[in-house]
Amino acid sequence: MLTDPQDHLAHQFPLEGELRPTFSGLSDFLHRVEDMIVKELAKNAKSHAFDGFDVNWEDQNETVSCKHRLQHLVAQEKGLHVTSISWSCTGSVIACAFGRVDDGDWSAEKSCVCTWNLDRRGLNPKRPNTVIDVARPVMSLSFHPTSPSLIAGGLYSGEVVVWDTNRTQDPVLAQTGMSTDAHREPVYQVAWVPGQRRGEMLVLSAGSGGRVLLWTVDGGSLVLSAGYALVRQQVPHNSSLSKGRGSSNVGVTSLALSPWDSDTFLVGSEGGLVLKCSFSAQELAAAPPDGESVALRAPAQFSFSPRGGPVHSLHYSPFHRNLFVSVGTDGLARLHSLLQPDPLLSLRVSDSYLFGVRWSPTRPLVFAAATGQGLVQIFDLGRKSLRPAATMDQLTSGQPAYCMEFNPCQTDLLAVGNADGSVNIWHLSTELTEQGHRETAQLEQLANEVAE
Amino acid sequence: MCAEVEETLKRIQTHKGVIGTIVVNAEGIPIRTTLDNSTTVQYAGLLHQLTMKARSTVRDIDPQNDLTFLRIRSKKHEIMVAPDKEYMLIVIQNPSE
Repeated sequence: MLTDPQDHLAHQFPLEGELRPTFSGLSDFLHRVEDMIVKELAKNAKSHAFDGFDVNWEDQNETVSCKHRLQHLVAQEKGLHVTSISWSCTGSVIACAFGRVDDGDWSAEKSCVCTWNLDRRGLNPKRPNTVIDVARPVMSLSFHPTSPSLIAGGLYSGEVVVWDTNRTQDPVLAQTGMSTDAHREPVYQVAWVPGQRRGEMLVLSAGSGGRVLLWTVDGGSLVLSAGYALVRQQVPHNSSLSKGRGSSNVGVTSLALSPWDSDTFLVGSEGGLVLKCSFSAQELAAAPPDGESVALRAPAQFSFSPRGGPVHSLHYSPFHRNLFVSVGTDGLARLHSLLQPDPLLSLRVSDSYLFGVRWSPTRPLVFAAATGQGLVQIFDLGRKSLRPAATMDQLTSGQPAYCMEFNPCQTDLLAVGNADGSVNIWHLSTELTEQGHRETAQLEQLANEVAE
Repeated sequence: MCAEVEETLKRIQTHKGVIGTIVVNAEGIPIRTTLDNSTTVQYAGLLHQLTMKARSTVRDIDPQNDLTFLRIRSKKHEIMVAPDKEYMLIVIQNPSE
């Protein structure tokens, strides 16, 4: 089993030992207050004075309700699916990308990216505030973490684009174009990551060609800054998977950045692999060079136990540095510790595929999963029962729910993007959003369990 | 002298449910702590301000009175502040542990 390096760090302030300055009167002061403090601490530990005492600072919301049902009729008429959604950093704007997730050659299909400002008066759910026409289906979307008008998108063709919604004439700020550096296959994930310089943000893109690429915005172009290639032969502990069949590229279907460690990221693949990767990996990738301007590196460092089908979504816990959850076509939500290959917990969410999973930003034990039957199931790991704490029907007549994102500012809002081209904005109940008394401790306990 | 200070703080810190112990000087600057840097700085600054406000509230109501102890009960913890002329002791306890 791996050890957690954080255990060895001591937190002492200021310095230990003889270098500590002495303060006159400190010893006397502590002597004076010690008895009183210890007496109060002991009384507190035994007291029942506050048992069951709750204060309602906020309005209590008893139910889960659908606040808005956003639709873009033009995209719906073309049968486009919502492939990805993203909230702006201010939490006021929701953007959705249209594309196709099912099998078929969609390379010639025109699509768009739409945004709605939910805080603006006169919101018309059937009329987006912005519509950006895109020549090809958009598979992934991500708002810039600090500039509310910039959105990065990954296309079916492998291109990566950054749009600026403030520009009325041509919203394209920068793009990769079809250069030799670009992906050749659909880009399923885009994200913004901090660069070397202060305030600099790079665009990260990952796709089914097995490439994870980092781009800088330079004039009207996205210039390749660093790149990684995932190749079957370089996946650690890969004895269980057959070698040499089909392409040696590991197609990336999902990616998660760690909020705890800026060097680590997780990758989920088409073949069911879940890999822990590092941005600072030095080993060169065993992929044949294809005219790229930077040398591609092999980022995978650790393999978690593989799943029986594509891994559609991964998410790090915002409350515990070693926990993440993954979902895929096997209908299971798996809770993993970064320290061991086998999952801590496998929850049967649905008989259908699972397309998205997100931890609650406010309740450590709660996560939501989007199913292929058009439901979003919310689970509370603090409950004894393994049945969902809430089920939200996306009203898509059984078509899948593909993506979900919690609003970063109004954390009781959850947006869900569906195959029928609609985006539903849900308002969660207080019970699902207000952190319980001992939740962080319970999560810690869960994380420390060893899988049987 | 130094060892006595450490022993006293250790006795308090190891008491049931205590999450952290901080000693702050008259300027609100932490001089001893069992928590990490950033958490310590946050607690010290905010509680120093609050304690001064609590003290002036007590004295405004009755100039012959003075603050002796401050307790803040929140959903997750109880924060106890023992104020004094030169120093302030902050103890954070999770009472239900």
